Amino acid sequence: MKEEKVKFIIIIAGSIFMVIFCILPFIFMALVSFSSRPDFLSARTLFSFTLKNYYSVLTTPSLHFIDYLRNSLVISGISAGFCVLIAALAAYSITRLSLPHKTFILFFVLAVSMFPQISLVSYLFKFMAGVGWINTYRALVFPYIAWILPLSLWILVSYFAQIPRDLDRAGLIDGCSRWQILRKIIFPVAAPGIFSTALLAFIFAFNEFMFALMLTSDHHARTVPVGIALFQGLHGELPWGDIMAASTITTIPVVILTIMFQRHIIQGLTRGAVKG
Amino acid sequence: MLKDINKIRNYRELREAYSFLLPLIVFILAFILLPVAGAIFTSLFKDISFLEKKFIFFENYKYLFKDPGFWQAFRFTMLFLIVSVPLEMIFGLLFAVILNQSIPFRGCLRACVLIPWAIPAAISARTWELIYNYHYGLANFLFMKLGLTNAPINWLGSNLGAFSSLVISDVWKTTPFVAIILLAGLQAIPVELHAQARVDRANFLQRFYKITLPLLKPVLIVALLFRTIDALRIFDLVYVLTMGGPGGVTTSFSMYGYRYFLAGDFGYGSSVSVVLFIIALGLSIFYVRIGKWGKEVI
Repeated sequence: MKEEKVKFIIIIAGSIFMVIFCILPFIFMALVSFSSRPDFLSARTLFSFTLKNYYSVLTTPSLHFIDYLRNSLVISGISAGFCVLIAALAAYSITRLSLPHKTFILFFVLAVSMFPQISLVSYLFKFMAGVGWINTYRALVFPYIAWILPLSLWILVSYFAQIPRDLDRAGLIDGCSRWQILRKIIFPVAAPGIFSTALLAFIFAFNEFMFALMLTSDHHARTVPVGIALFQGLHGELPWGDIMAASTITTIPVVILTIMFQRHIIQGLTRGAVKG
Repeated sequence: MLKDINKIRNYRELREAYSFLLPLIVFILAFILLPVAGAIFTSLFKDISFLEKKFIFFENYKYLFKDPGFWQAFRFTMLFLIVSVPLEMIFGLLFAVILNQSIPFRGCLRACVLIPWAIPAAISARTWELIYNYHYGLANFLFMKLGLTNAPINWLGSNLGAFSSLVISDVWKTTPFVAIILLAGLQAIPVELHAQARVDRANFLQRFYKITLPLLKPVLIVALLFRTIDALRIFDLVYVLTMGGPGGVTTSFSMYGYRYFLAGDFGYGSSVSVVLFIIALGLSIFYVRIGKWGKEVI
């Protein structure tokens, strides 16, 4: 009985610490974004509420925040979509068809995801410069698809492997082609898995930094993480209020997405990592 | 006759299998394998923008091993890895154990833990930059209020401060990932084992050491592998928080290579990235070996 009580108290204390640890930076971020001065913590100034940071970030064209946000959403969305499609084809081939060296292929793809980005970026830069794609969506979409494929493949393989093969056989007997089976049987049955994968692929593309830094040069293709990392004031001094307002605007949809689809994200992450 | 039909069918299936795999292979070949091969190739050249390209064989590598800047980056990256990864594993395990209990608002707690992981590192790093601000940052405010220090700490301007800042922010950002993966491992442990141990009067700690930890080992190794590789190639945090400073003490491998690319020295930058690539590859092979996983993938 006593052990249970001690355990309960430890767990509650632990959860409180955990939540504060995870959330505190965001509270500070939001506070500064709504504050008329970023230095309200030092004793002489007081916190006073304002919306001017949000107004300035959303309406100053030279800050290009809206452009960055649009670039990020479009690039991540396209990358995630294509990535899931390509990974689904490959996962179907690996789990259903008599492909030799399946394990080797899976582990080779896993090893590929361990490559440091810095060792890809110089060639990609020269290649994109050569074909004139620097600072376009294409310069990021193609590397992103390749970069997120390993993770997507692993997650989808673990989902597809669970679908009973009798479904395929039934389809084959009815005269479906493999492509029809994939589209009409596997996709609907594995829809939750495909959704998880797409969500994770989107988050990974949205968070990517180094490719975006090297392969874009201004607001025509620059993504939000790079935009916020390079955010400079018009007059030299760092506009912390603006930066925090931009960060908060970017953070809110991600937070909502995370809370709504928490179960899917966790499932996808664990499938991708633990199944091996 | 039947044999022939089977043969034809097998051949057709094989062709289909490869054609379904083809797009994946093309993308990985064109945008990952070719770039790595390109980096290895370029590292054998003196390749600086606007200068003539010249084949110099291993000269870049020879220079690299005598370059104090390279060794500084090597030392920082290794130190960062050795300090931050164990902290992430410990906190991650702690969080996973908490998340695995049947407590109120469990779904809400899990979502909270996921948020630091889901936000782009470059963006949260910007908030951390403000938190570490000497004059009006949250870190100094809290440390002074709690009486942990008398004078404000120069977080980003001193050697130890900059290193600690990076470690703290990285632990904050990636502990959720470790926690989620370990949570899945915990959930796979049969409840009966713990119940039986309770009957045998094993206490909480004994149960943890004798049951949980051994059964968790494969998952721990997976988390360790992903974290080690990520810590090794750390870039965005360093880029936003310290830019490798003060005085170059927090320059990571990726940061070091990036500087040469930025300056247009592709040959030398590539040799740095190839060395990092080899270290990452070696470590992942090592982990896969000790983990002995991959036996029952499909």
